[in-house]
Amino acid sequence: MKWKIYFTVVGLVALLLTAYSTDVFANWTNSSEPEEDTRGELSSQSDENLTPPEEDVPLDEEFTILNDQETLEKFQTEKKQEEGITPTHIKIPSIDVDAPIEQVGILDNGQMGVPQEMEKVGWFEPGTKPGENGNSVLAGHVDSKTGPAVFFKLDQLEEGDDIIVSDEEGTELTYTVKRMESYPYTDSPIDEIFGQTDQKNLNLITCTGTFNREAGTHDERLVVYTELVEPEQQEEEEEQELDIQSPTNVEVSGTFITWHAVRVEGVAGYRVYKSTDGENYEKVASVSSHERKSFTDEKAADHSYYVTTVYLDGTESDPSEVAPE
Amino acid sequence: MKTTKRILITIMAIMLLTPSLAMAHDHSEPTTKTPASDLRSTLDQLLSEHFALATTAMMKDYDDAEDAEQAYAALDQNAMDMTPAVASVYGDEAAAQFEEIFVNHNDYSPDFVEAAKSGDEAMREEAEAEVDEFVEEFGEFLSTATEGNLPADAAKEVLAAHEEDVISTFDHYVNEEYEEAYGAYREGFHRMFDISKALSTAITTQMPDQFENTKADTPAADLRSTLNSLASEHFALAALEMQKGYDQASDYDFVTWAENMHTEDFKAAIASIYGDEGAAQFEKVWQQDHINAQSDIITAALEEDEEARMQAEESLQMFAEEFGAFLGSATEENLPAEAATEAVWQHEEQVLATFDNYAAGDYEAAYESYREGYGFMFGIGETLGEAIVTQMPDQFAGEEMPEEMPKTGFGGATDASTTWMWVAFAVTALAGAGFMIRKNANQ
Repeated sequence: MKWKIYFTVVGLVALLLTAYSTDVFANWTNSSEPEEDTRGELSSQSDENLTPPEEDVPLDEEFTILNDQETLEKFQTEKKQEEGITPTHIKIPSIDVDAPIEQVGILDNGQMGVPQEMEKVGWFEPGTKPGENGNSVLAGHVDSKTGPAVFFKLDQLEEGDDIIVSDEEGTELTYTVKRMESYPYTDSPIDEIFGQTDQKNLNLITCTGTFNREAGTHDERLVVYTELVEPEQQEEEEEQELDIQSPTNVEVSGTFITWHAVRVEGVAGYRVYKSTDGENYEKVASVSSHERKSFTDEKAADHSYYVTTVYLDGTESDPSEVAPE
Repeated sequence: MKTTKRILITIMAIMLLTPSLAMAHDHSEPTTKTPASDLRSTLDQLLSEHFALATTAMMKDYDDAEDAEQAYAALDQNAMDMTPAVASVYGDEAAAQFEEIFVNHNDYSPDFVEAAKSGDEAMREEAEAEVDEFVEEFGEFLSTATEGNLPADAAKEVLAAHEEDVISTFDHYVNEEYEEAYGAYREGFHRMFDISKALSTAITTQMPDQFENTKADTPAADLRSTLNSLASEHFALAALEMQKGYDQASDYDFVTWAENMHTEDFKAAIASIYGDEGAAQFEKVWQQDHINAQSDIITAALEEDEEARMQAEESLQMFAEEFGAFLGSATEENLPAEAATEAVWQHEEQVLATFDNYAAGDYEAAYESYREGYGFMFGIGETLGEAIVTQMPDQFAGEEMPEEMPKTGFGGATDASTTWMWVAFAVTALAGAGFMIRKNANQ
C-alpha cells in the first residue's frame, strides 16, 4: 500500500518536473488572458446591487427576520395600537356597561345608523378607529319600548370615568370622560362630534331629554366626550422598547460602507442611502439586522451615504451621519 | 480517501521544494527561504497562535460558551507544539524546562476569567502576581538559553507587554468596550511577531552554524514575516467573526471592524510593494467576493438558506480565481496564478470547515480545522514572500548577505539548473524510499 503511494508520488513528481522543464507552466499561465472579461461581468453584477429595491415591499420581505416571532408579534401589537383597533366590545365599569359592539354606517336618510339590538352598541365604521387620531363615535340606545337599554345610565357618567373598548384579539384601549353635552336633536355640532382632530377621542351618543312622540324620538342627544388614556408608565416602556436610534460609526472602508448595529430590541434591519451629489439620496440596500453591517460599492469613495435603522413596526430612524465626512 | 490525502500532501511538500530548486543556481539573490527565516516563521506561527487562542478561549470562557473547553484545549496543544521547536534548537532538557514554565502559564487565563465572573478581587490579584512571576521566570529562561543574546530585561519587558495585551483585550471585552478590546487584540497579535523577530534573531546570532550563517532579520525575512502576520490575522479574525456572527454576539460588529482595519493594513503593505493602484485593486478583490461572502455564509446558516450558501461559496470560488489572478499578475507569475488560486481556495475551505464544524456544534473538529487553517497561512507567507523577493531582488537585497557561499559550485553552465533539478529529484526520491524502507522495517 505504502509503496503504491510512494510510486504514485514519485511518478507524479517526475511528470511535474518534466512539465516544468518543458515550460508547460509558462504556456498555461500565458493562456489565462480572458481575465478582463470576468472582471467586466463582475462589475455589471455589482451594478445590479445598486438598483434601489422597489418601494412598499413588506417589511418581512425587505428584511429577513430570524425566529423572532414573539418580538415581531409584540411590535405588531404596538403598531396596531397606533393604527387603531376595530372595536368589538365596550366596558364602562362605573355604570355597569359590558356590551358587544357592532358596526353601523350612514342610513339612506343621512342619519348615523344604530344597532338593531338594544343591548349592543354601534361603532360608526366609516369614521375613525379607536386609537387613531380623530373622533371615534359610538352610539347606543337609552331605552327600548319596553325598558332601559345599553346606554340607559350614560347620563350618570362623570368626568374621569373610564371607557374601555377592545377588539377581537383583546387589545384594550381606555378612554376617560372629559365632558358631557346635550344638544337639541336637530341642532348638534356634527363637526365637533365626528370631525377631524389631533386628539384621540371617543364620543358616545345616546338619546336624552323627553321622548317626542310626534317626531318618534327623544328631543335631545347626549354626547359624552372622552379622550384616550395613554398611561405614562406604558408610554415609558414603549419608548424603551422602541428606542429609535440612528446607526453610528458609519464609515467608508475601502469598497465597504460599514456601520455599527443599533443594539436595542425590535430592529428589523437597516437601509442604506446613497447620493452622488451630496443632496439627493436614494435607497440602495436593505440589510437585515443579523447580517454583516456593510454595503459594498466599488466606488464608495466617490459617493456619500447614510444609513437608517428600521424597526419591526416599520418605524425608520433619522438618517445617520453622512459618510465619508 | 486518506491515501489520496497523503499523496497530495507529499506532492505538495515536494512541490514546495521546486521553486527553491529552481533558484538554487544563484545564491546571491535574496530569498525568504533560509534556515533563520524558517525559524522566525515557525516562531511567528506558534507565538501568534498562542495569542489568538488565549484571547479567544478567555472570551469564550467568560461567556460560558459551549466551545470554551475546546478553545483551552487548542491553546494547550499550541503550547505542546512549541516544545519540539525548542528541543530542536536547545535540546530536550531545555525543552522540558521550557514546557514546564510555558504550559503552566496558560493556567492563569481561566483564573482571570473566573475572577471577572465572580468579581473576586483577591483572585484577580493572585492571577496578576502569577503572571508577574511567569514574566520573571520565562524572561530569565530566554536570556539564559540565548546566552544573553536576548537580554533578560528586554525579554521581560516584551513578555510583560504581551501579558498586558491579553489581559487588556479581556478586560475591555468584559466591560463591553469592544472597540478597545479589538484594538488591544490587534496590537497584541502583532506584538507576537515582534517577539518572534527578537527571539529568532537572538537564537540565530547565538548559533550561526546551526542556521547556515543566515539571518532572521533580513529584508526578505521581514517581508515573509509581515505576510505571515497579515495572512494569519486574516484567518484568526475570519474564524472569530464567523463564530460571533453565528452567535449574533454583541461584539460582532467590532470583529468586522477589526477585519476592516486589517484590510487597511494589508492594503498599505501591498501599496508599499506594488504602489497605490495595485493596492486599490487588491482591496476591491479582497473585500467584495471574500470578506462579504464570508459573512453571507453566516447569514445563510442563520436563515438556513441553502441556496444562499451555494451562492456565497461560488463567490468565494470567484475570489480564489480573482485573487489568484491578482497575485499572479502582481508577482509577474513568480507566484503562478493557478497555484495561487489553488492555495487561496484551500484556505477558504479551511475557513468554511472551521465555521461548519462550529455551527454543527463539533467544537473539537472546529479547533482542529482552526489550527490547520491557521498554520496554512504561514505557507502562504512563505510562498508569496518568495515570489515577491524573486520578482524584485533589488528591493530585498539585504545589506548582509550570507557570509560564505556554499563551497560546492553548482552554478555555472546554463543547462546545469535542469540537471541539478533532476539530481535533486533522484536524491529526494531515494531518500523517500529509504525512509519508507526504514519505516517498514520498524513496523
